[in-house]
Amino acid sequence: MVFFFQNLVNALQWGSFYALIALGYSMVYGILMLFNFAHGDIFMVGAYIGFGVATGLVALASMGALALPTWLILVLTIIITMFLTSLVGMMVERVAYRPLREAPRASAAITGLMVGIILETGNLALLGARRVRFPTLIESTTYDIGGVFVTNKKIMIVVVSLLLMLALDQFVRRTKWGMAMRAMAFDYAIVPLMGVPINTIAALTFAVGSGLAAAAGILFGVAYPVLDPYMGIVFGWKAFVAAILGGRGSILGATLAGFLLGFIEIFVAMIFPSTLRDLIAYSIILLILTFRPHGFFGEPYSARLRL
Amino acid sequence: MNKRLTIVLLLILSTWVIAPAALCGKDTIKIGINAPMTGDIPKVGEGTKFAARMWLSDIKAAGGLKVGGKLYQVELVIEDNESKAESAVKVNIKMITEDEVLVIVGPQASKQAVPAGDVANNYRTAMITPWSTNPDTTKDRPYVFRGCFLDPFQGPVLANFITEEFRFKKAAVLYDVASDYPKGLAEFFKKAWEGLHGKGSVVAFESFTTKDPDFSSQLTKIKRSGAEVLFTPQYYNEVALIVQQAHELGWNKPIVGSDSWGSAETVQLCGKECFGLFFSAHYAAAGATGATKAFIDRYKKEHGYVPDDVAALTWDSLLIVQEAIQACGAITGNLDKDRRCVRDALARIKKFDGITGQMTFTEDGDPIKCVVIVKISDKGEYEFYKSVCP
Amino acid sequence: MFSHVPLLGWLLGAAIAVSLEHFLGTSLALALGLPKIPVLFGFVIMLKKPVLIPGAILYVLLIYFLSIGVTARLSASPANRLAAKLLSLPPWFSVAVHLGLLYATLHMWSGMSAYRVITLKLTLIAVMVTLSLNVINGYMGEFSCSHPGFMALGAYGASVFTVVLFVNDRLFGPSLLPAALAPFMFPVALIVGGMVAALGALAIAIPSFKTRGDYLAIISLAFMFIVKSMIENLEVVGGPRGLSSQPDCANLPTVFLWTVACVWIINNFVRSTLGKALNAVRDEETAASAMTVNTRRTKMVAFLFGAFWAGVAGGLFAHVLRYVNPSTFGIQKLAEVLAMVYFGGLNSVYGSIVGAVGLSLLSEALRPLEILKWIIIPLLLILLMIFRPTGLIAFKEFNVKNLIAPKQKREEEM
Repeated sequence: MVFFFQNLVNALQWGSFYALIALGYSMVYGILMLFNFAHGDIFMVGAYIGFGVATGLVALASMGALALPTWLILVLTIIITMFLTSLVGMMVERVAYRPLREAPRASAAITGLMVGIILETGNLALLGARRVRFPTLIESTTYDIGGVFVTNKKIMIVVVSLLLMLALDQFVRRTKWGMAMRAMAFDYAIVPLMGVPINTIAALTFAVGSGLAAAAGILFGVAYPVLDPYMGIVFGWKAFVAAILGGRGSILGATLAGFLLGFIEIFVAMIFPSTLRDLIAYSIILLILTFRPHGFFGEPYSARLRL
Repeated sequence: MNKRLTIVLLLILSTWVIAPAALCGKDTIKIGINAPMTGDIPKVGEGTKFAARMWLSDIKAAGGLKVGGKLYQVELVIEDNESKAESAVKVNIKMITEDEVLVIVGPQASKQAVPAGDVANNYRTAMITPWSTNPDTTKDRPYVFRGCFLDPFQGPVLANFITEEFRFKKAAVLYDVASDYPKGLAEFFKKAWEGLHGKGSVVAFESFTTKDPDFSSQLTKIKRSGAEVLFTPQYYNEVALIVQQAHELGWNKPIVGSDSWGSAETVQLCGKECFGLFFSAHYAAAGATGATKAFIDRYKKEHGYVPDDVAALTWDSLLIVQEAIQACGAITGNLDKDRRCVRDALARIKKFDGITGQMTFTEDGDPIKCVVIVKISDKGEYEFYKSVCP
Repeated sequence: MFSHVPLLGWLLGAAIAVSLEHFLGTSLALALGLPKIPVLFGFVIMLKKPVLIPGAILYVLLIYFLSIGVTARLSASPANRLAAKLLSLPPWFSVAVHLGLLYATLHMWSGMSAYRVITLKLTLIAVMVTLSLNVINGYMGEFSCSHPGFMALGAYGASVFTVVLFVNDRLFGPSLLPAALAPFMFPVALIVGGMVAALGALAIAIPSFKTRGDYLAIISLAFMFIVKSMIENLEVVGGPRGLSSQPDCANLPTVFLWTVACVWIINNFVRSTLGKALNAVRDEETAASAMTVNTRRTKMVAFLFGAFWAGVAGGLFAHVLRYVNPSTFGIQKLAEVLAMVYFGGLNSVYGSIVGAVGLSLLSEALRPLEILKWIIIPLLLILLMIFRPTGLIAFKEFNVKNLIAPKQKREEEM
């Protein structure tokens, strides 16, 4: 039982990352019907920007220029990084997606892929091949709850992720912009006729998605403090799986799918030999899709690829 | 157009065209470096490049490489293999047939070294891979050599060390299943451990896939298995994560690593979590003396960090190559003959004192070296603990 | 000026250029101050040693442009007459003459350097892979990510076949048949590889073609991860260490012939009724279904067909390198293949050939730039996508008859 709960705790943390990244992916996918293959690399850029901001703030604090408690540094880092990464996301949209609005959907996916490669290589060229260590913002404390080991970091990560997901949900449901986004997801062609500028909404979508990726990047840095330029690739593709698995444009769907992916990976490794983890985990996803071909909350639709 | 101007222009152009011919001296020795500058392991490529450049600057400072009483200029042909097998093959062929290198150093990872070794062997050009531990790289290939020890040796050494040092009976292993170096070492360790303590004494044999940052599930399993020690033959970036997560999950028993821990970045990334742990290495940076220390200090001064094993092994490989070229006696200019001569000279080297230790070579071109057991001190330095020789 | 030069004329020009290079190349290169013949049209040498730029450009101009241009221009009318005569014979004969000329040119060109040979082989294989992915992503209009997986299956299928039969191997023991037979059985091995890949494709096709949508994308991606993980766990084929010592069967003529076969068969496939049905399914599935197209079956056949060729290409790949390992067939490969398909152009055999050749040569030519190369190539692709969103040559039929026909001037036709 203890064993199970320990894995549950592990899976919650691991799933939070997938869910946060998948949410950003799902925003772009649901609203603009685009595969954003640069998303994983925006996550990477977010983690690096977070690294820069956090290092800077820690340095300032230690010099005594800013008397800040560590938790405030973390909050500030998250806010500043989310903002900066949103700008990166909007730039990616401007450069790689907007010029291709009338093009086949898949072509835009390829430009996204290429932007991703540029971000990775650019990072490699700028910072060199060294891996960097994310500064320790939270001193890790481990609580032993009846044999289940939980750290304060784990709790923080899960709580912050859930808060962000809630905030996103409220944003999409309650605000004017959120409504415009939902309208765009509903019918791409009619939205401009209603006086909602497509470009603004598209940029906003990318900004929100990138902001979430940035938050995920910082949380990642807190939990797994080793960053390298290629760390976003695998996350990007797995979030892609989660976003589509969740169903088009469904926030709840993407969240659940992200957590599910995390749970599958952790629990498969718990039950089966961990060597077979990918094999079994992805076979399970294949099976799920066989029986539930529209994902969790997606409706059957006939997507014209606009070729 | 003004006729005179045309003539002047033509003259300038023709000198530009013809002049370079004079620049290409005949007395240069070309050495190919096949390294992964981009792709999965750019850090490995960087270390290779830096070590090679340092070696070159040494040669330049000496005015060239002295072979048979004559000084030759040395040129490095550094090519990027993008950490892809097919690319490494292309690079090797290009260096052999186009750049006409005398000898090749690299590729580093076995994924590239195995197919590239085939090429080098077919074109009768000596190749020495500093870092590839796969037996296939050098097997039945007279022209291919390596600069590192093989896994079958390191595994038993570590198993013996843990048994003698801690008197443990149950061990757990965590390794990357998709990467051939950790996987090979993990298997050899398991074999050796079970040879010492009987079947089933490796109570958990867990794996993950390259680039996974989360090992919580595997570590939870390991913790439950009742193992007394965790052996993880992983690279430094993963070591930092594994050790930290193990501690967060309440694991407070020893963790032991292999030579792949031997990078300055291990401690940098891992911090005080790693203090007090043991690993096997080619050399111990903190306790280093003589040439090893000189190399480390110099590398650190030039590039800002303590070199990892790739840089050190590349350095050693280049020195071995240098010795072989010098042993050759003369460079005739006949490439086929010179290449054969270098290969023969390489095969004749029976003993070599490198910065990663003294090595002797077997028939297959594999070195036999002593393994150093290193302890990470409370200051984060690599302290010499023990030396185990075959 | 060159508008009425038939393909035959261009090929003749290329053949002459290459033979010129063969006989005069070295002395010309030396005269121009180059250390040796520029291996890839001067790119590599130009980027490595900027002083040699004018020499390299001059060399390429003289050897390639000038001689091809002059020969094509001068031989235009005899070549046209010859092409016309050939056209009156059975079509296969004319095609064979063209292909023979093309092969002779490539053979001579690559004969100059082993580096050219390996570049050419891998480029031809890239053509096959790109083309087979274009069947799915272009003609069928789905987004499939499993091609590296199919290549891996093909590579391992073919390798296991040849290694078991013809090689004394550590993993599989002594060979069952004499090694001399290997070249003759090699086609069988490749077909086995293709079949294995097609079988794997069935695992994707059954769940994903029930509905329309993006689910194929993730199912195929999951499949790619599964294949990689499966091979890593199969100790029989070497696990992550990979499988080496395949017999040396994949020489240039073999690769060339298979590529030609692949282009020819895929071209016929997409122009057949089934291929047209495929386009119909892509453009309007309901309508196609109403017009008695069995949509599910059509998609399945095309998908398996594409997978088969990817498998064959994988088999060739394994035998060209004589080594395979699972990590070759990962996300990096996927990005490469996708880029080639979309760079060249969707729904077009020409496009795939141009895309694969273009990107392969570009990435080879820019190799000296190291890290910068991976900024320049993606930038180029983004620019291309912005200005030609469907790729360089999209939606163009590959018509062999038109290609080899003589090109008369308008007035002469009257």
